[in-house]
Amino acid sequence: MTEDRLAAAAAATRHQKAWFADTVRRAQEGEPIALVNADAPHEVLRAMGIPYVVNQWWASIISAKRLGPTSLEHLAERGLPDFSQQYDAIPLGAQDLPAHQRAWGGLPDPAFAIAERSGDVTQKIFELWGEREGTETFLLSRTGADPVPSSWWEKVPRDWEDAFGADRLDLLQAEIEELIAWLSERTGRSLDRDRLARIMDLGNEQAEWNRRTRDLIAAARPTPVLVNDTMPAVMVPQWHRGTQWAVDTARALHDEVARRIDDGVAVCADEKRRLMWVGRGLWSDLDMYRRFHEEFGAVFVWSMYLAIAADGYPRYGEDAVRALAARFVGFTDQLYVPPWSAEWYVKEALAHGVDGVVHLVADDTPGAGFISEALEAEGIPVLEIRANNADSRSSGSARIPERIEEFLRERVPARD
Amino acid sequence: MTEVVRDRRRIGVVGADLPRQIVLAAGASPERLFGAWSGAVSPRASELLGAVDAVAGRILDSILAGEHDDLAGLVICNDSQANLRMFYVLRVLAARGEVPIPVQLLDAPRGQGAAKQAFVVAQYTRLVDFCRRVTDADIGVDELRRAGDVEQSVSDALERMRERRAQGRCAGTSALNAYRAAASVAPEAAVEVIDAASTPVGQGDRLFVTGSGHPDSSVYQELERAGATVVAEDHDAGDGGWFAGCSTGESEADVLVGLASLHASRPPSAARGSTAERAGTLRRRVADTGSTAVITLARDLDDAPAWELPAMRNALAELRVPFAARVQISADGALSASRDAVTALQEKDGSRR
Repeated sequence: MTEDRLAAAAAATRHQKAWFADTVRRAQEGEPIALVNADAPHEVLRAMGIPYVVNQWWASIISAKRLGPTSLEHLAERGLPDFSQQYDAIPLGAQDLPAHQRAWGGLPDPAFAIAERSGDVTQKIFELWGEREGTETFLLSRTGADPVPSSWWEKVPRDWEDAFGADRLDLLQAEIEELIAWLSERTGRSLDRDRLARIMDLGNEQAEWNRRTRDLIAAARPTPVLVNDTMPAVMVPQWHRGTQWAVDTARALHDEVARRIDDGVAVCADEKRRLMWVGRGLWSDLDMYRRFHEEFGAVFVWSMYLAIAADGYPRYGEDAVRALAARFVGFTDQLYVPPWSAEWYVKEALAHGVDGVVHLVADDTPGAGFISEALEAEGIPVLEIRANNADSRSSGSARIPERIEEFLRERVPARD
Repeated sequence: MTEVVRDRRRIGVVGADLPRQIVLAAGASPERLFGAWSGAVSPRASELLGAVDAVAGRILDSILAGEHDDLAGLVICNDSQANLRMFYVLRVLAARGEVPIPVQLLDAPRGQGAAKQAFVVAQYTRLVDFCRRVTDADIGVDELRRAGDVEQSVSDALERMRERRAQGRCAGTSALNAYRAAASVAPEAAVEVIDAASTPVGQGDRLFVTGSGHPDSSVYQELERAGATVVAEDHDAGDGGWFAGCSTGESEADVLVGLASLHASRPPSAARGSTAERAGTLRRRVADTGSTAVITLARDLDDAPAWELPAMRNALAELRVPFAARVQISADGALSASRDAVTALQEKDGSRR
């Protein structure tokens, strides 16, 4: 917590705790709840009134309580790998830990585990959830990113048929319909398609507020907010996408940022270098983002979390299920598949007027070098760092702060 | 720089989902790029692919070195994370002119259902167009039917080879080399190689091999040198490969639907199949082939097989078949891992007696 912390970030964190307690209570009273992967079509569950917990968010809570290693050890004791896709696997390992080792009192056993078949392993992890007493698994296809027309962020809100291709959408749409039937059979509830359409509208509204906020920050000089503050302020409401609360929270964030700009708030008093952070958040050392304010006047003005919330989610269309398929059919392609990834980071770097980029290279995505290359081609210096964002041992040995200091001295001149 | 002459009669393939009949219908021969169990992976390939199975890195290195520049085109199957990443990387490099081979993704999800079948048929239709484009061939229903017959001749030869293998007249190393020929040389030549695959087998364990695919036969040689005989496997460089012809149908669309149906009923792969299906298939095949032991060898960063171990162990315990597993096998550790695994099996065998 810093004195500059956004009220919207603190409010989001408070809400999440209350929401989780309520979800636990509902499960204990016999309501079926779902565990879902981040890129599964959550909106269906919301429309059918089925509470859900996002696997990656839950992993972050377990990790924050330093229970990740214990959870992985538990997997190893069952003969499962503790070295493979750990972040997605941690909740599975945590589920059987004794009560005193369970984050926030533990996740009640879900009735449903829902994921898309991304990579080689996600489906295996979710299949194992389905072997647990009282849990069933539903898996959706994850097709390859082909085609990839340029400027995806202009196409995906409305021209998603062109952006992703009708074949990919046909398949996912059909599978979402299968998911709806599967859930109906098990809960006795039917999908109210008008309600789903309203949920899609609310998700789009939320994305529009995020877009306005992102645009405000892009144009603001000096920058009025810390990136490590916008991360929770954007991500917590993302898991509540399709609710009025999420829209209101996105709007509150926007209004707070606008007020700060009007009031001339600067998170770095003497802003001389504007930096972009490409890659996942450095959860193991969030204070790192403000470490270069005093000596270098260097401030991180961009992380992907707000930007993808602005560009990645909006999908408008008459058919809510097809629009929902369009939201998820290539969601991660937008961030991680070349050439889409490189084009988008360049667009964002130019819009935010950044002077340098720190690129935390993810080893689980292809062509990371294309991103650095494209930014350098625009005259923006890039520092590539290879480290695990969630593992403090890895980021420590990568000497991240020291290398950023060297980078600032050698390659990023101060603005006049 | 010498200009490479493109051979319109050869189309490369990465992965094991290709309906080879479509390539054959274009008058071309599919040539699978396998990579290798050992050898360095360049920093450039590692950087481009991120952290993936080293075999993919070795294939990418061979492409970047220009070793396949004379291919008419390259089809990359989305049958593993590593191969999909390779497609993404090569698509960019091809667009820049850094790789001169036209590249095509073949994305064929496994499993049943009308929606999946429609998607796979659409992919096959795109593949037909790609083959037409890179070979300048006319592909119609007649060409597809004739190619179906040719592919069936390869499939039949492989079936004869599997019978010899089951009868103890063809060792695993020979069988794997025959499969390799089937996947990478012209069909007539492949049939000759496959029919010639006949070698005496040892008296040791009848081994079933699962886990990562085997890009070459070095590990099989090591296993068989240690006294075992590899009698069957489920990876896609061996019994899990796909050689099937579809010669029926009144139209191109009929043939493609027929191929999609064949694809949907293939046995599950580690990277794309469910663990339960895989364990069930393993139990059935181990019983059918009279395997006396099972070995899993999984390379580092080819993680799917590691998630299957408890289910496979349980399935084999019901059959009382011993099981040895080595995972996270390093870039140069395949031979020692396979020796260790065989030794572990032999020790179990000794303790059983």
